[in-house]
Amino acid sequence: MYAVRKKTIYAILLLSPLVFIFLSLFIGRYHVPLPAIVEILWCKLTLGYCNLPDTYVSVVWDIRLPRAILGALVGGCLAISGASFQGLFRNPLVSSGILGVSSGAGFGAALAILIFSTTSYIYVFAFFFGGLAVLMSYMIGRVYNTTPAIMLVLGGVIVSSVFSALISFAKYVADPYDQLPAIVFWLMGSLASARFQDIAVAGIPMAVGIAGLLAIRWRINVLSMGDKEARSLGINTALSKGIVISCATLATAGAVCVSGIIGWVGLVIPHIGRMLVGNDNRVLIPASLSLGACFMLLVDNLGRVITGSEIPLGILTAIVGGPFFVYLLKKTKGGGW
Amino acid sequence: MSLIELKDASFGYNQQDIFKGISFKIGKGEIFCIIGPNGCGKTTLLDTILGILKLRQGDVLINGSNIQKMRPHEIARQIAYIPQAHSKTFPYTVLDVVLMGRAAYTGIFSSPADEDVVIAEEALALVGLTRLKSRPYTQLSGGEGQLVMIARALAQKTPLLIMDEPTAHLDFKHELTVLETIVQLINDTNLSIIMATHFPNHAFYFENNNIKTSVALMDQKTFSQVGRPADIISEENLMMLYNINAKVVSCHIGSGAELKQIIPISTIS
Repeated sequence: MYAVRKKTIYAILLLSPLVFIFLSLFIGRYHVPLPAIVEILWCKLTLGYCNLPDTYVSVVWDIRLPRAILGALVGGCLAISGASFQGLFRNPLVSSGILGVSSGAGFGAALAILIFSTTSYIYVFAFFFGGLAVLMSYMIGRVYNTTPAIMLVLGGVIVSSVFSALISFAKYVADPYDQLPAIVFWLMGSLASARFQDIAVAGIPMAVGIAGLLAIRWRINVLSMGDKEARSLGINTALSKGIVISCATLATAGAVCVSGIIGWVGLVIPHIGRMLVGNDNRVLIPASLSLGACFMLLVDNLGRVITGSEIPLGILTAIVGGPFFVYLLKKTKGGGW
Repeated sequence: MSLIELKDASFGYNQQDIFKGISFKIGKGEIFCIIGPNGCGKTTLLDTILGILKLRQGDVLINGSNIQKMRPHEIARQIAYIPQAHSKTFPYTVLDVVLMGRAAYTGIFSSPADEDVVIAEEALALVGLTRLKSRPYTQLSGGEGQLVMIARALAQKTPLLIMDEPTAHLDFKHELTVLETIVQLINDTNLSIIMATHFPNHAFYFENNNIKTSVALMDQKTFSQVGRPADIISEENLMMLYNINAKVVSCHIGSGAELKQIIPISTIS
């Protein structure tokens, strides 16, 4: 009975992002009929020739599909890192940005816009500074060869505020006619520029991070017992923590460097997961991945269709996610909290 | 051969000694109670036995091998730890918590196997909590929570348990439940236990239940006395240890058995 239920849950978790990706192909200002979409997917996947108008192929294959895949990856990465950090820091209020990866990446992007005035170096800079911020938080949090959760969180707070200040400084000195809007829009988050090459570049750290977190997910249960107990249960806490932090950072930095800063997903999706499947990280971690992917696609599709011009993702995640979260909280009466 | 042995163990931070020159050994099926005032270093001593803190001098040997040279999962297959107050964070189910006792037998990138679940369920049965296995452990009473910690330690399948004041914050009934569980475990499985406690009467309780019990009084950064409860827990020794007046009384508890207890009377100014 239990095994059957577990298999059903995993099947739903795996299938729902795929369904959402498929549905995303329909949504948008330009109407493409269902048979055409199916035919495009079929002939592209079988490397055949598409006997359809070029605009159809380009809209579905070159614009909507990469955007949907990237959106699913970004949402999944933010949510899975958030869930892992909540377990690691034994604190349900922690999100994927707790060690400063978002502020660091934001500063990197702003710096790239300032220096080069084009968007092409943003990925590299955002990824590098996101990773650097986490490394700095880790070094600050390290005392006597151990990394107590509270010290790490404090390190993250310090590093985040320094990088936030640097972002403000970058905005202050930016050219108000082209650089400043570019920085502001980047910080609000968007998937509008997504292409297959983005998936090829940013997908690698995201995939590595996701795979690592999925593999180590049961250890997060044990780490959430606290350093001393985890150690007495037989875990090399420094190594396990290091792997979790590295994987979560790879995933988040990979996501942020292509999408900009998207808040809320890394905090709330894990909680929705807790209400749906419980707190055991063996199920919660894959559930967060799947829910994050679905939620991001939902929000991105809404952002594309509600108004004539796109609404930035970072704004919509909170506007859509907030009420949804309240509804779930009320319905499950907090789910054991 | 003794199960665990401390040889001239010393520990300190920087210039300050926390304890020094501690030696003792314990065999199978024995219980060793460490009694001493707050802040005397009991918990630190337990941490060094667990290999979490490194001794400044001396050795901890378990089954003849030196704990300082063992890896965390090797230690966790020999010694299990039951914390004084476990701070609960996420509402894991009771079974999930007990299953964490299998971490030392599970690879870093794996989850527990079906055999581990069976072992965890056996451990829960040993402490009599099978009926609660699907409940969130955050909703249990203090006594039940402590039994879950004992079950988690049992799932580690170690010959030695270390308990740091396992009955702190418990009411009379829950305290007795924990003590009875400990006695039953020692009788059934021949476990050995090192226990830090604030209640000298626990030592009398174990001795009364025919368990080989030793008591160590920890004072002035070392063990001032080690021996059988009847010899060590005396009015004079408690006066020295805690600076209090105390009285040892004895009462009949039916069927010819007699229970010794020590009662604190007043502080000495």
